Amino acid sequence: MNYGFVIDGRKCIGCHACTVACKSENQVPVGVNRTWVKYVEKGKFPATRRYFTVLRCNHCEEPPCVDICPVEALRKREDGIVDFDGRRCIGCKACAQACPYGALYIDPESHTSAKCNYCAHRKEVGLKPACVVTCPQQAIVSGDLDDPQSEISKLVATEQTSVRRPEKGTSPNMFYIKGDGAALDPLQTQDGRPYLWSEQSRGVGHFAGKSHAESPRQHRAAHLQDDPSMPRKVYDIPSKGVVWGWEVPAYVWSKGISSGLFMLFFMLTVVLSLQLPDEMQWSTWGISLAFLGLTGGFLIKDLDRPDRFQSVMLRPQFRSWLVRGGYIIGGYGAFLALWAVGKLLGLPAVEQVALWGGMFFAFMTSIYTAFLFGSARGRDFWQSPLMPFHMLLTSLVAGGAAMMLLMVLFGAPDILVGLLRWGLAAGVALNAVIMVSELFGRHPSKQAEAAAHQISAGALKSQFWVGAFLLGCLLPFFIFVWSSSLPLLSLGSILSLGGIYYAEKLWVRAPQLVSVS
Amino acid sequence: MNSTHTPTVIEKAAESLHLIENLHKDDDSRAATGCEGKQLSCPPPEHWDSWVEYDSRSWPERKGREYMLVPTSCFNCEAGCGLLAYIDKKDMRIRKFTGNPYHPASRGRNCAKGPATINQLDDTDRILYPLKRVGPRGSGKWERVSWESVLDDISSRMRKALQEGRNNEISYHVGRPGHEGFMDWVLKAWGVDGHNSHTNICSSGARFGYAIWEGFDRPSPDHSNARFILLVSAHLEAGHYFNPHAQRIMEGRMQGAKLAVLDPRLSNTASMSDYWMTSYPGTEPAVLLAMAKVIIDEGLYNRTYLENWVNWQQYLEAEYPDRPKTFETFIEALQEEYREFTPEYAEKESGVPAATIRDVARQIGEAGERFSTHVWRSASSGNLGGWAVSRTLHFLNVLTGSVGTPGGTAPSAWNKFKPTFHTHPEPQKFWNPLHLPDEYPLAHYEMSFLLPHMLKEGRGKLDVYFTRVFNPVWTYPDGFSWIEALEDESKIGLHIALTPTWSETAYFADYVLPMGHSPERHDLISYETHAGKWIAFRQPVMRVAHERLGTPVEFTWQANMGEVWEEDEFWLELSWRIDPDGSLGVKKHFESPYRAGEKLTINEYYRYIFEHTPNLPEAAAKEGLTPLAYMKRYGAFEVETDVYAVHETAVDEERLRSSTVEKGTIYSNGSPVGAEVAGQSCIGFPTPSRKQEIYSQTMVDWKWPEYRLPAYIKSHIHQDKMDRSKNEFVLVPTFRLPVLIHSRSGNAKWLAEIAHRNPIWINADDAAAMGIENGELVRVNTDIGYHVNRAWVTESIRPGVVCCSHHIGRWRRDQDQKGNRWATNLVSIDREGSGKWKLRVKEGIEPYKSDDPDSGRIFWSDGGVHQNITFPVHPDPISGMHCWHQKVRIEKAHPDDRYGDVFVDTDRSFQIYKEWLEMTRPAPGPGGLRRPLWLNRPVRPAEDTFYVGKGK
Repeated sequence: MNYGFVIDGRKCIGCHACTVACKSENQVPVGVNRTWVKYVEKGKFPATRRYFTVLRCNHCEEPPCVDICPVEALRKREDGIVDFDGRRCIGCKACAQACPYGALYIDPESHTSAKCNYCAHRKEVGLKPACVVTCPQQAIVSGDLDDPQSEISKLVATEQTSVRRPEKGTSPNMFYIKGDGAALDPLQTQDGRPYLWSEQSRGVGHFAGKSHAESPRQHRAAHLQDDPSMPRKVYDIPSKGVVWGWEVPAYVWSKGISSGLFMLFFMLTVVLSLQLPDEMQWSTWGISLAFLGLTGGFLIKDLDRPDRFQSVMLRPQFRSWLVRGGYIIGGYGAFLALWAVGKLLGLPAVEQVALWGGMFFAFMTSIYTAFLFGSARGRDFWQSPLMPFHMLLTSLVAGGAAMMLLMVLFGAPDILVGLLRWGLAAGVALNAVIMVSELFGRHPSKQAEAAAHQISAGALKSQFWVGAFLLGCLLPFFIFVWSSSLPLLSLGSILSLGGIYYAEKLWVRAPQLVSVS
Repeated sequence: MNSTHTPTVIEKAAESLHLIENLHKDDDSRAATGCEGKQLSCPPPEHWDSWVEYDSRSWPERKGREYMLVPTSCFNCEAGCGLLAYIDKKDMRIRKFTGNPYHPASRGRNCAKGPATINQLDDTDRILYPLKRVGPRGSGKWERVSWESVLDDISSRMRKALQEGRNNEISYHVGRPGHEGFMDWVLKAWGVDGHNSHTNICSSGARFGYAIWEGFDRPSPDHSNARFILLVSAHLEAGHYFNPHAQRIMEGRMQGAKLAVLDPRLSNTASMSDYWMTSYPGTEPAVLLAMAKVIIDEGLYNRTYLENWVNWQQYLEAEYPDRPKTFETFIEALQEEYREFTPEYAEKESGVPAATIRDVARQIGEAGERFSTHVWRSASSGNLGGWAVSRTLHFLNVLTGSVGTPGGTAPSAWNKFKPTFHTHPEPQKFWNPLHLPDEYPLAHYEMSFLLPHMLKEGRGKLDVYFTRVFNPVWTYPDGFSWIEALEDESKIGLHIALTPTWSETAYFADYVLPMGHSPERHDLISYETHAGKWIAFRQPVMRVAHERLGTPVEFTWQANMGEVWEEDEFWLELSWRIDPDGSLGVKKHFESPYRAGEKLTINEYYRYIFEHTPNLPEAAAKEGLTPLAYMKRYGAFEVETDVYAVHETAVDEERLRSSTVEKGTIYSNGSPVGAEVAGQSCIGFPTPSRKQEIYSQTMVDWKWPEYRLPAYIKSHIHQDKMDRSKNEFVLVPTFRLPVLIHSRSGNAKWLAEIAHRNPIWINADDAAAMGIENGELVRVNTDIGYHVNRAWVTESIRPGVVCCSHHIGRWRRDQDQKGNRWATNLVSIDREGSGKWKLRVKEGIEPYKSDDPDSGRIFWSDGGVHQNITFPVHPDPISGMHCWHQKVRIEKAHPDDRYGDVFVDTDRSFQIYKEWLEMTRPAPGPGGLRRPLWLNRPVRPAEDTFYVGKGK
């Protein structure tokens, strides 16, 4: 059994009956939608036409949202429906990043994730989805794609159909007859123009009831001329905004400091066999632990249901990098604790085990987020093969900067400071090179291209070039190369710490400014 | 198939240790519906008393809720599509609405406005109790009163008026009727010529064009069987009867029918058409006549139909008495008459390419009898002489013989059921000149939008004025003149607003009486949606639920929320009190047909009608039900299917016996009752000749000889009248949105979140020439003022034309009760001197605190611009239609202008009213008549009032 939908573009009149029937059936709050209609116009008068597209969850064969959800709140059922359980959801919003189709939203009533679930509660009692029933044209067809006798199977077999973003490998079970390319692909339309009968001044979903600073859509500011040869979006639902805000880059940053610091500690202590003064060791350990705690804090802060944070460990979905990351961080924390035990009780063997174990887990801690971001299949910009290396690098730089500050505080041999200084110089230089190559190199898709463009030349360009590049990399580089004065080195360290946070913020934000629907 | 979740070991352990909530308990209610495994659209009716579904928000936890399903009909437009109310039996509240599969027109499907009905019921700002004004009119203070006191007050006032012969001071002014014949019957029972409507700002133009052809005044297209469909409308998104028609237009298309649309704007309908003909507004008749010319010249017409069913002989006798009276002469005459209407001429007038006109005309000729058309408003309600649009459109149906054929276009009345009432009041002996003044003898429906102007002129006054689901202050042109009239207690004695929601007009009432929405009232409805004939029932579902549960109530307001009542029962109660001793002749009509001398109940009223509906008693008996019980259960009934060619019905024997025939027309008792066609005596059409009248003697008799034949009348906004160098444009203000309905959707949150602003559409090239950018503020100057809106620069409107949606720009003032806050701007209205009014938006739409958390989630602030109030009245001298299109001058906004600003000078608008009055050719007509006897009018009064000076 494989239940799915067909949207018959030959018949759809864009009347929004499906939108409202779904709202009614599923008691969906104002501002968010499980299904909706988008209007795109093409052409120059009188050769103008308007295209209506019904959008919602595609009930994919390979749903990326199911893979990323840490608590099995999303599930691919045996009958093909991708269902969700609001009681399990912790509001991490990873699913919203994973979905290439923008199907998921945060319900402002329950603060959990939701989407079209084929009206599973109706199916259970023998009824069709509400949208299918109400459509005046019967342009939405539901049914079992595995049954060759069903109406939907016959339609899919005998009519030309298209799906959204087939290259993502999700195998959608939502087929469009006479779907229009420009209407199905959000990047083919000019965005930021006023809509023909709606506008958005405030947030929705996760941002419901808040003022609206998160959307690129400001109709009053758009004094731009349309190019009649380009398709234009003339109606869409309100933007759900940038749901991974400052908390996620903050967590990556503090995690980087913690793991980077410990890795450097390991390198100095084990690889270079240096004996650092006790207070230095304890401070390093303390900072690592503190920032690890802060990491957990930022993670929990980001959740829309922080009261359920323990579900990540206790209702684990093991394919999710959020869960794996949770266990990795747990392991790292455990070894940190073990080190303290060994050190306090004067057991060098335990210390060694803790150092080696801690190093491994610190290493994994510093890079696992790259795999998490990589599994967010809705954000092509994050599907970069360079990302794990980049994260390792920034962790080491962040740890190095933190260590530099510790050295300045507690005093350290010049040779060590010198080593660290040149290490940092190399680190920030390499970081700058990688960032530039991520922005200006070849991208695998238009979405990734568009996100990169936001940073290098779009809405985020001043923040990037001034904040992340100039102040975060270039200036520290010159400081580390040309100066050995401790105050300046401290400044350089602080700037590069700031730069790393800033860059991470932009990297997290940029792809969320690119429409997926 | 297992659709429940299997926990991991860790989760199971954590749950059993109570570290986390146990989500794997057994569900407490498993619904056993007997439909498991099926894929039904709707629960079967045998389950409608007890249907269990799972709560959607609790899913996947299975929380069963038991519902009672009660059918009713939607009230969010005149289509009256079927709805099923789901009443939760536990808390006795309505949970939601789905379609009613038994409704023959909507067939279980609805547009967006249907399911949104629940928003209108649950609106926390709803008026729940009768209210009486405290302080001056319009000051915004109200007190709650009882229905008893309301009925006593109004009935005694009406009684006094009737006793004193001031029948013409009682007026019932209706916006949305949504019922079949009820008020007509009530008004006649009162003996009052009290019907006023909104029709002449709606469809009078199109109706007149049809009426002058065939007596019947609306088309009923059989789209699903057509081969070619021509719309001067946007029926895939709005209009009467959007949902049922859209379904059938698409059915026709999927079977190969082609669709052509005449519209200067790219409507959603035009976008799905095969031919989008972008006619300049008002030039449609030129295009249609050019098509007619092609059909005539190329011999594509249906000779048999023309020969038999058109009054060509009368035409030849009048115009060409010296030529042979043959069909060939008729064709020659037509060719001469329409000589100049070449496709090239039509292209010059309209901008529609001549090649397209020819192509479409030929396809129409080929489609022949399977040619369905529609115009309801659109060009016929926008332009001076707009009635020529329907007259020329119908001309094409007549030429192809597609009148009342499968796939053709029938007269509406064939597909509309007329109920039989239990009493037949005599027609009233009054003619109210405030409704139909003598200057407009041919007006189709009342001159409703001239009421304030006629009151201003001192033509009369109204003692008891009911506005019913009617919002002229906002919807009508020149709303400030309405405010001036409503504020004047010497002109309008008692203003009673019957409404489901607050409105700009209700703010100026003396009583605001909450009347129920679709699941809170009784109505009988029947509309011409396809080639059948059906009735549907609107019923107060909670009242029905109480009945089913054995706890019936006496009055509907006892079962509805608060004390929300319904008009039907209100009128019965009111009428009973007007004439308690029967001396006025009113009481007898409100007595029960089943219990002599007792007051009629609402159930008895409908019981009688259903007992006298053909085929219904039989269908009900088959299920062991009375006709009323059947309608309460299913909500709808198809009285007849496949209704075609009714004009060929034989004249009944009785009549034939006493009849005479003259020039092919059969007369009985001096009135025409049929036509002799091909040796048969057929009933034909309700015209003087009983045939389709291409030649109208009536137009000649009533001083409009230039329009005796279908003609092209140049609009008041014709291109000749536009000075493009001054940035003058024609504004088309009548286009509607698929999700909104005038004043009633303001409190429907799911509709308001989809559509809430109405920028003015300007063609991109026009905008570039004026240096106007997308989203820029512009001042739109009309003949009586201006409004300030944002430009929406687009390729989807014709150059030279701008348009703005009709539905948006609602408002309330500081002093007004809060209502419709999803859609209303907060405004200040100031008088700046004699007749000068200024409206300014103080605050757009803001989130607000209420028992509905969604009101805090409003994400839009733009409530649009009120454009209608800046339009002067434009009464068409023939049809009486308000010609909506406006000549406007567009300029960039002035420095002090703010978005939503409105300015109007009502002295100027009064002047314009007088200017248009000058265009009329008033009664008397032949024999001192004030109106042709054969041209019907609503609530037709006694025949002797049809003469000038009578019926006072």
